[in-house]
Amino acid sequence: MASRKADLAVVGRDQPRLDGAHKLTGRSLFTDDVVLPGMLHAKIVRSPHARARILSIDTSAALALPGVKAVITHADAPKLYVGIEQPLFRQEIVNYIGDEVAAVAALDEATAAEAAALIKVEYEPLPALFTIQDATRPDAFLIHAKAKGNIAWQQAQDLGDVEQGFAGSAHVRTDTYTTNASHNCYAEFHVAIADWSLPDKLSMYTPTQTAILFQKSLAGALRLSDGQVRIMNLNTGGGFTGRTSVRPHHDVAAVLSRKTGRPVKVRATADEEFIACRAGGEVKYTFRTGVSDTGQIKAFEADITFDTGAYVESQMIVLTLTSSYIHSLYKIEASRYSGRLVHTNNIPYYFHHGGGLAQMAFGLGQHMDALARELGMDPIDFHLQNGVTKGHTSMTGTFFGSCGLAECIRKTAKQAGWKRKYGKLPPLKGIGIGVGAMASGAKGVFKHDTSAAFIKIVDDGSMSLFVGLPDMGQSSHTAMAMIAAEVLGAQATDITVISGDTDIVPLDVGALIQRGTFNTGNAVKAAALDARKQLEVLAAARLGVKPSQLVFRDRQVYPKGQPDKAIPLKKIVYDTLHSREGRFVMGRGFYNSPKESGTMAYSFGAQIAEVTIDPDTGFVTVDRIVASHDVGRAINPRIVEGQIDGQVFSGLSQVLYEQTLLENGQVMNPSRLDYRLPRSYEMPKVEHIIVESIDPFGPFGAKEVGEGPIVCTLPAVANAVANALGEPVNEMPITPWKILQILGRRAKARAGS
Amino acid sequence: MTRQLITLIVNGDRYQVPVAPHETLLDVIRDQVALTGTKRGCTSGACGVCTVQGEDGRAVLSCLALAIEWDNRPVTTIEGVAGEDELHPVQKAFLEYGAVQCGACTPGLIMTAKALLDENPDPDEEAINEALAGALCRCTGHIKVKIAVREAIKAMVADAAAEDSHGV
Ligand code: FES
Ligand code: FES
Repeated sequence: MASRKADLAVVGRDQPRLDGAHKLTGRSLFTDDVVLPGMLHAKIVRSPHARARILSIDTSAALALPGVKAVITHADAPKLYVGIEQPLFRQEIVNYIGDEVAAVAALDEATAAEAAALIKVEYEPLPALFTIQDATRPDAFLIHAKAKGNIAWQQAQDLGDVEQGFAGSAHVRTDTYTTNASHNCYAEFHVAIADWSLPDKLSMYTPTQTAILFQKSLAGALRLSDGQVRIMNLNTGGGFTGRTSVRPHHDVAAVLSRKTGRPVKVRATADEEFIACRAGGEVKYTFRTGVSDTGQIKAFEADITFDTGAYVESQMIVLTLTSSYIHSLYKIEASRYSGRLVHTNNIPYYFHHGGGLAQMAFGLGQHMDALARELGMDPIDFHLQNGVTKGHTSMTGTFFGSCGLAECIRKTAKQAGWKRKYGKLPPLKGIGIGVGAMASGAKGVFKHDTSAAFIKIVDDGSMSLFVGLPDMGQSSHTAMAMIAAEVLGAQATDITVISGDTDIVPLDVGALIQRGTFNTGNAVKAAALDARKQLEVLAAARLGVKPSQLVFRDRQVYPKGQPDKAIPLKKIVYDTLHSREGRFVMGRGFYNSPKESGTMAYSFGAQIAEVTIDPDTGFVTVDRIVASHDVGRAINPRIVEGQIDGQVFSGLSQVLYEQTLLENGQVMNPSRLDYRLPRSYEMPKVEHIIVESIDPFGPFGAKEVGEGPIVCTLPAVANAVANALGEPVNEMPITPWKILQILGRRAKARAGS
Repeated sequence: MTRQLITLIVNGDRYQVPVAPHETLLDVIRDQVALTGTKRGCTSGACGVCTVQGEDGRAVLSCLALAIEWDNRPVTTIEGVAGEDELHPVQKAFLEYGAVQCGACTPGLIMTAKALLDENPDPDEEAINEALAGALCRCTGHIKVKIAVREAIKAMVADAAAEDSHGV
């Protein structure tokens, strides 16, 4: 049974983040702050060509430079692969501007940089492929011999009778969209410190969303067992789906450390952030939807092609994610998906905030909006008519145990004044809606996707909670402490969360695809219940009631309905240990979704954006965002708002601002001055509506809010722009230039008529 | 490389440090004074995470300042902002209003906001916007940051009024 709000003492109340004071006073450690004894600094030599043959590498001048301790090239790590097809260093052919060719370790960064510049590499430039179109021409050369047609990976799926679905549709609409290359712009740059000075243990400090995947992939690549790799993720300065797998710099640090017998640090420079770490490539989408004349979706088809750049690593996940997305949002009986990753000589694709889904939603949301308009339907009614509901089981096998989609749509529309505004705004002012769904507690990384937790309670009543879930800023550790505190009748501030060291913390697949609150939260709840059971033995005997009648609340334990009989929790803990049995209180728990694969729950949302277009500059100002999200239960409401804010920012930034400008594989704007994000004064007012659908499987009914809101922002803003302009812009980002072209074309047409 | 000995006054403490001409204030504060609260980001003036306060209280991008020019000049870093047993009102407001997420930008934002309020205790919207424009934050969308800054102003104005009424 789900608890009522009034029964909860900790969960559902605002709790400032437990590590907040540390972060605010400069005491929080990030990887860049760590200095190990004897630590060296490394720099990577990268290809200046998009594709070229390496003729020779001369490292002699670099090695002769005082202070240089090691230089490594392909010869030092011939069998080392990052992911499945990217050798750590190229031997023969380089495949993109930024490709790793060599690396050097020296006493300090300046010497390392100087030495890197002294490494002479002779190249013979070769023709290269920069667009999906060129790479998929029948006569295009192959970037990797194994990837026929330069298709690195593909996935197709047919559910239901698609042909019949389209044949039976009264209207069929097809649209195409494009999203462009982008970058996550983390506040904390890519960095790793490897200490492999003893042969049987590699320790690595690095920011990550998932220490276990780093551990496994480093162990695999370096031929160590998992236990020989220790990952220490201190604070992680932003994740945004982009810090989920090992990158070349991690291996570079490890190999150099092995070779020199000293700790080695590699940190990306400002331009390397952009050159070596793309967070999204060009993607082309075609959506085709058939509907009845009353607006019921009969069939849906998506065809998506990703420019995956020079190498694939784990990007194929994006195909799985985008292939089933439609079924988490609408009730559909026939769907077809075909998706592919295409190799080019651009920077390898990785994930941008929203994991490929937010970017897909840019087009999908506009497509559905356009379809509704074509039918003369209000998009709100269209989404309400087709949206999934509680109790529905989708064609992909997902059961929706809770669903606040309709409630989100209605509440957002009401607060935004949709009925008053939609279709009634003056020219160049627009309003648009975006709806979305996001997995909570997804499974599919391993056969299990277990999250585990331990809790120990010492005799002064203070508690340490051990979790493998990282906190990249989403405040997951505070949420975990609140869940444990709720179960144990403690306060969140009584709990120290211990995390970030794979030698210490229990297993956790990590903070990806919105799984933390749901999976780790369930594990923490189980661990806290286990600890409570150990305390109940003594408490029940003292109070003369059955354990099931005990209430743990406000640092007290008492029989239900008799708070006057309360014994302090601390005393129960103390006496449990300080007895002849000497029982030390240690709870443990784990959670692995009972499903074979897929998702236990989905979070939902709806956002309405209002925009104004400046006819002179083409600049879009977002005036207001009303954001409504079904998070199951808000464990920590103000933090939930903050998660929504951050995603609204990132979403509108992606729609209107962000683009890694590539010219023949070269990043033209590799700096935070030239790669634009909204400044604080460009942010609109964000109004939050938190919908609590109380999920039957989530901890205290909670689902997630870590990645759901962003899938609503992109379509909401894009639809508002289309509404203001009177026509959609099908390519992201929607830059002022694109808008001026449309306005200019119209002015010309008017002048000519 | 020849190094020159300078005296750096950080949060009131004096440090004698040998600096090379090309070394930045950021490098010296982090690597020699060993205060790592001041973060290293773009090192090119584009992100604001390295912000400290100079002697006049003005915000300084320490990645763009040459250490050698800071001989005998006081610098305040994030470690010098909180009182002995209390956070600074700006820090308090950031904590309470949820303006901290990953924390990598946070020291820079606090220093930027504090520098603004030290110079102008009651800034209008435009002044706040101008001051914060160079401080990037990827996580919060700046929304709660601005709320926190406004709340800090309110708290500081109220504190000042309370002190006045006590006649001190
Ligand atoms: S480090 Fe980015 S502005 Fe100084
Ligand atoms: S809190 Fe993460 S960048 Fe600002």
